[in-house]
Amino acid sequence: MKRDIEDVTSISAADLEKLSKEAAAEATPSRAKIMWGEFKADKPAMASLFILIFFILFVIVASMFINTPKMMETNLMGYYAKPFTPEYWLGADSGGRSIAKELIVGSRNSISIAIGLTIISSTFGICWGLISGYYGGMVDLAMQRVYDFMMIIPMLMTIIVIVTIIPHYNAITLTLILSIFYWMGTSRLIRSRTLAESQKDYVAASKTSGTGNLKIIFREIMPNISSLIIVDTTLSFAENIGVETGLSFLGFGLPMGTPSLGTLIANANDPENITGYWWTWFPAALEIIVLCLSISYIGQVMRRATNAAQRRGKQQD
Amino acid sequence: MSLIEINDLKVHYPIRGGFWNRIVDNVKAVDGVTFNIEAGETYGLVGESGSGKSTTAKAIIGLEKATSGTVMYKGKDVTKGENRRKLDYNHDVQMIFQDSLSSLNPRKRIEDVIAEPLRNFEHLDKEEEKLRVLQLLDIVGLDADALYKYPHQFSGGQRQRIGVARAVATHPKLIIADEPVSALDLSVQAQVLNFMKKIQRQFGISYLFISHDLGVVRHMCKNIAIMTRGRIVEVGTRDDIYNNPMHIYTKRLLAAIPETNVNHREEHRKHRLEIEKIYQEQQATYYDKDGMAFPLVKVSPTHSVALPPHLAKEFEQQSENEGVNV
Ligand SMILES: Nc1ncnc2c1ncn2[C@@H]1O[C@H](COP(=O)(O)OP(=O)(O)OP(=O)(O)O)[C@@H](O)[C@H]1O
Ligand SMILES: [Mg+2]
Repeated sequence: MKRDIEDVTSISAADLEKLSKEAAAEATPSRAKIMWGEFKADKPAMASLFILIFFILFVIVASMFINTPKMMETNLMGYYAKPFTPEYWLGADSGGRSIAKELIVGSRNSISIAIGLTIISSTFGICWGLISGYYGGMVDLAMQRVYDFMMIIPMLMTIIVIVTIIPHYNAITLTLILSIFYWMGTSRLIRSRTLAESQKDYVAASKTSGTGNLKIIFREIMPNISSLIIVDTTLSFAENIGVETGLSFLGFGLPMGTPSLGTLIANANDPENITGYWWTWFPAALEIIVLCLSISYIGQVMRRATNAAQRRGKQQD
Repeated sequence: MSLIEINDLKVHYPIRGGFWNRIVDNVKAVDGVTFNIEAGETYGLVGESGSGKSTTAKAIIGLEKATSGTVMYKGKDVTKGENRRKLDYNHDVQMIFQDSLSSLNPRKRIEDVIAEPLRNFEHLDKEEEKLRVLQLLDIVGLDADALYKYPHQFSGGQRQRIGVARAVATHPKLIIADEPVSALDLSVQAQVLNFMKKIQRQFGISYLFISHDLGVVRHMCKNIAIMTRGRIVEVGTRDDIYNNPMHIYTKRLLAAIPETNVNHREEHRKHRLEIEKIYQEQQATYYDKDGMAFPLVKVSPTHSVALPPHLAKEFEQQSENEGVNV
């Protein structure tokens, strides 16, 4: 009694190629194309993107040519050397160390830590939020208690204590330590959206189509909250540059002898530096401002690209 | 044997409250529903908004946990997850959702939407799969250029067809159609309904057709159950329900169908008002003290009604006297 699909449609294997071509011609542009179009439509964001990429690449490549231990040696000849001289482009600090070199190596350290911290903490927070929000019930309850526990720990103090107790640590261990404390905001945000998203019928339709839970979480729900994820991640990145910088500023960040944006800005702790030797702290402060502004511009464009109603780029579909 | 047998199905949602967040009460969304669906037929489930139709559907397909009762399919109780998995239940039973927009993932292209059940149940290679999707699109009357578009680029009627294409992709034996046309205008409604009938003839599918529109149900279904407040108040063939309604709730629903014949409008209005008056007067006797419908009583071999106890007794005596074996 049951007939097959072949009996009721005239389409056969012979038409496959022709029809796929037709379909491809009508295809909606891919996400990457839409995003690129969006950047092209927004000049400041385009500039920000280039500044950021160029800067990160420059800092990474340039720092490879700098011998850090040698750079950090005290050089009495260069005591508070003035900037814009052939030897000291950006002047030198009280130890006669070149600010320009310190800035390059420091930026590399700070940015690497921020990127690592963002990748680890956001990935963890996103997974935590997705799983907690999707399963709900007891799973959610248990996972939220862990969240609550992490929230009531006085974060800054705990980090400082850990950093003080651990005898040897470097940029990688510091990133891991910080990651333990910076996933909660993301997880809460993702959880609340996942709770709402899980109630939608397309999730039910996936279940009745026989798709497994993990696949539903990461292949069905996650793409639908991608705009939230992108915006949250870019903002976290901007914020995370501040985390390491702040700790180093306080003197609990990277170990002694490792330059970072925070240690450079800490030069401003000395009132004499603020007025007399502005070049010791100003470039680092300016750099942080420029970086954070660029990232927030880029974040805005990404948000627009993921939301069809807000797009400014040429409509291609 | 029926294709699927729903037996005293209950779905209660707990209401939590009080100091310890204990369960203080239950919402009886579905409260003891029993019916069978035969192979190849369309079974209508009718009721007002909030009567528990969607919840019944979700419990049958396994999206909602049944509080008690059974859903028997191939001799196994498919309210249990492991039985569903063993039988590949979702290969055989699919659902068309009430809200076509929300039932299609906005981030997925139509090809991936329709191919999803194919990928899970029938492991075709890429070419075969694409061909199958194109054939399905052709069956539901959409062009091949729909393949790489996103759900928001289609009209409501087209989206509903995409939902239908997904539902028929794996050759299911039963499709649960939850108000598949409620959101559509009349001409598109007719298109989608006729199309559903067509594929039923071609593939021998059974439907559980859920609706609040008795006009549509009359067009589609041979057997009909009327549901209110989580219980079934009247079950019968199309003829029983439309020509011999016995529960006041059914009568009222029927009277509410708009009259299209202009000449009979005034008459129809009077009839409706009369029914409404009777409904208001007799409402109390047709529901028990908790506002729930009474158990079903057989009034003919095909027709059962949730009559109040005094009427039910009358019927039992009558049938005994006549010696009718019901
Ligand atoms: N998750 C839930 N928690 C608590 N109550 C619920 C839940 N889902 C449904 N209900 C209740 O169950 C009852 C039946 O809901 P259901 O969605 O089955 O109605 P319906 O007959 O499909 O209505 P409609 O025609 O509007 O779709 C409603 O009173 C609703 O408030
Ligand atoms: Mg419903």
